[in-house]
Amino acid sequence: MSTYGDAAEDSTFVRTYTLTRGRTEPRHLLGLDTVLDLGPGRPGPGQAEECEEILALCREHRRSVTELAGRLGRPITAAKILVSDLLDAHALVVSVTDAYAAADTDADERPTTHLLAALSVALKRKFPDAIPYRQAG
Amino acid sequence: MPSPTARPGDPAVGLRTSSHSHAGAPTVLKIVIAGGFGAGKTTAVGAVSEITPLSTEEYLTEASADVDSLEGVEAKQTTTVAFDFGRLSLPDAPKPLELFLFGTPGQDRFVDLWYDLSRGAVGAVVLVDTRRLENSFTPVSFFEDIGLPFVVAVNHFDGAHLYHPDQVRAALDLPASVPVVTDVPTGWAAGARATSWDARNPNHVAGVLLTLVGYAVEHASEGPVHPASTTTLQDA
Repeated sequence: MSTYGDAAEDSTFVRTYTLTRGRTEPRHLLGLDTVLDLGPGRPGPGQAEECEEILALCREHRRSVTELAGRLGRPITAAKILVSDLLDAHALVVSVTDAYAAADTDADERPTTHLLAALSVALKRKFPDAIPYRQAG
Repeated sequence: MPSPTARPGDPAVGLRTSSHSHAGAPTVLKIVIAGGFGAGKTTAVGAVSEITPLSTEEYLTEASADVDSLEGVEAKQTTTVAFDFGRLSLPDAPKPLELFLFGTPGQDRFVDLWYDLSRGAVGAVVLVDTRRLENSFTPVSFFEDIGLPFVVAVNHFDGAHLYHPDQVRAALDLPASVPVVTDVPTGWAAGARATSWDARNPNHVAGVLLTLVGYAVEHASEGPVHPASTTTLQDA
């Protein structure tokens, strides 16, 4: 949340750099909420230990890029770079989680009212004591 | 306030074509929880998340405004931004859903991150600590500018003055339509006093999420980008 200049921060930076073998850009365009599932392929030899961790995590439950980074304790970009490697090896696939009315163009993508209604019902079931607040006006 | 501009790439779009379709896999919806440092973002995410909130870091490169170096090297600096992630499975909804919650810091230098998080989101909750109201200005104008539905929840801290929603609305210059939550209705308990909204209470947080979803439905039916929508929120 702030800028650090201390040695600990520098060494994290260096470890991350080593982990990604110096790469700073992922090969695939991945969102923070892109969800990964296990794929049919296997990663090649010489992958970082973290790649096995990613696969183990996705074997249990499909995971978002953000969750993978959080569980590995690595920055998002590092996680994206490793996930890209695993996508290339077909060890991971991107899970289709499309929530949008129109998947075309770069128009303002919002969940459909059908999905919003389903979310409302689901939240009320999960939290029966929760009360939505009605505006006076 | 940096003004939003169109961004070139939509992450993951290029990959969707090559991905496998899993019939029956839950649809992912996401909600952004924004607020200043200490406003209770991590607490709110943790109150409803089924996993312990994960703190995730990203390096952002930002132009530094106050350093004017001839070298050019110091013209950019790397900042670490930490944000929270939580999720919630809703398997027995009318259709299986998974809700992602992203807690993001409120400073305007993180606007790029907000873009990524806001794309396709249901909406946002802006958490307000009335002792540091100014921390809420940036997220409020950002969500207004990009047209993302948002609600404001005042997280009450001991010793902080209790404000009426209208006072908060005026201070943040919010349109009358934006829901502002300060108190929790006591519901069925007759005569009981309303209690202050508390980010630690799962029912309070879920109540705000429900408020947001309801508001997003209204927003969708009124907004210019979604012209004729005949769907109504049946359970509301």
